[in-house]
Amino acid sequence: MRAAAAFALALVVLAAGCGGHASSGNRTITIVVDAPFSRSPYIGNTVANGVRLAADQLNAQGISADGKAYRIRVVRIDNALSPGRAVADTRSALRRHAVAIVTDGTGVDATWQLANQQHVPICITYQGGAGLVDPKARPNVFRIAPTDHGLAFRLAEYMVPKRLKIAVLTDDSDYGQAGRTSLDDAFRTVSKSVVARITLPSSASDLAPQVLQARRSGATALLVWALPPVLAKTVVAARSAGWHVPVYATPTAEDPVLRQQLADHPSWLDGLTFGSGRMTAELGSGPWSTFEAAYESAFGATLVGVKSQGKRVISPPDYAMYSYDCANLIATAVQQAKGTDAKKVLAALNQVSIHGANGDERGFNEINHEGVVDDDVYFARFEHMVFRPVKDDPLSSTLPVINQVR
Amino acid sequence: MSKGAGVLTFLILLLGAGCGSEKKAEEGGAEKECDSAPAAMTGQPTLPAKFPAPDNVIYTGQKKTGPSSVVSGFRDGELGDAFDAYKSAFDSAGYQVTDSEKEEDDAEVNFAGGNSTGQVKMIQSCKDRTSLAITIRPQ
Repeated sequence: MRAAAAFALALVVLAAGCGGHASSGNRTITIVVDAPFSRSPYIGNTVANGVRLAADQLNAQGISADGKAYRIRVVRIDNALSPGRAVADTRSALRRHAVAIVTDGTGVDATWQLANQQHVPICITYQGGAGLVDPKARPNVFRIAPTDHGLAFRLAEYMVPKRLKIAVLTDDSDYGQAGRTSLDDAFRTVSKSVVARITLPSSASDLAPQVLQARRSGATALLVWALPPVLAKTVVAARSAGWHVPVYATPTAEDPVLRQQLADHPSWLDGLTFGSGRMTAELGSGPWSTFEAAYESAFGATLVGVKSQGKRVISPPDYAMYSYDCANLIATAVQQAKGTDAKKVLAALNQVSIHGANGDERGFNEINHEGVVDDDVYFARFEHMVFRPVKDDPLSSTLPVINQVR
Repeated sequence: MSKGAGVLTFLILLLGAGCGSEKKAEEGGAEKECDSAPAAMTGQPTLPAKFPAPDNVIYTGQKKTGPSSVVSGFRDGELGDAFDAYKSAFDSAGYQVTDSEKEEDDAEVNFAGGNSTGQVKMIQSCKDRTSLAITIRPQ
């Protein structure tokens, strides 16, 4: 009897794992979110919540492909910013018959081939490294996030006309080194604008020596491409030395960690300018506001942990918008492929498009797997712990201010 | 009109069109009568090799922005015609159209080719004129 029960249980488990059917009888679209939940909770939760929100909305409205009902199941796996962990996570995702993997980008250099062997698409929604996406060499890798190429060129286009003497500071993380490559490329033809190129050791507790080196180079601006804690230490080193040099940065400046670490000296953050992907599209802020309201209704506002003029500061879910769009594209591809056959879904991803969370059209094609164009990078500047689009850039000056206090 | 004034006019137009995008439904550029056209620039802009120019495109200026450059201009006619013309011209010139999007009053065609990448941004600035801003980034 016990053997029979065990056999029956094994059959049930096997059916659940291999059949792709949920207990309700619906078929399952499994999307694995591989993100750094333990090492960078802000990024991890941002990526996962975007997918979760899309899944909940799609499940509520019903997904049908080839006349059959489907439900999306979201599985979260922590890569801890480790490429090794990302490889193990990818194997786990493949064992779970994932239809797609949505990731911040950690370890994709090592994981894409594994996933590609089974035609499973990977969608990157945070890292912008130049080599991560290549439709010819890596046909299963897609991205919806600003690229390093776009950020680096837009930063150069914004900063060089100001006649600044720029010290480029990049940290020794994969993120910083990928940024260094893109910045070298962007400043190649305007190299006279760069007076120093300095590497920031991520593990250092004090970056005063590196900041002093930048100061002695005659720099009149710092361009920092680094993880949030390193960016924070750079600002602290400059300001505590009484150096009020303008600081320019990348989207890591939005990470709550930066503001938390500068909470004792909020004025040190004032004026810091960073490039990121525009939140609203040409047709206005309506779609973005709808998305943001749905996000906050589902997960609550992301509290930064600091106040601005007495009010609690929140972080807008701009990067969650990208993973939300990825999940919607994956579901649309399943519908076009008439099921979850990996090869057909991968092919369909090159054809489908959707109206994204902000109203922009999102989609890929066989020659382009990038969902955010370079020209959609805008600039924002901090003041009183919140940021708003700058006025001295043609694109940024047209964008609305997104409320960041509650 | 000088080259500088032409560029300034275009930038103001672009800025105005952009600012208006938040209330586009109320005042689409396509409904406004056109003022006199901006003057063509003296000479030709510096463009990547074999960069296509659809018929009737008039360039009004070029501005260097760090490593990149922005060429401004316009084309008589409606936005949809300009959008189709650029997509077709890029194909014919051997450039890749990496992405494109057309909305009611504005459109973008992103390209790669001629050792460059960039975007042609089009705005229907008035009834029968489409303003152009071509951003060119070296590869």
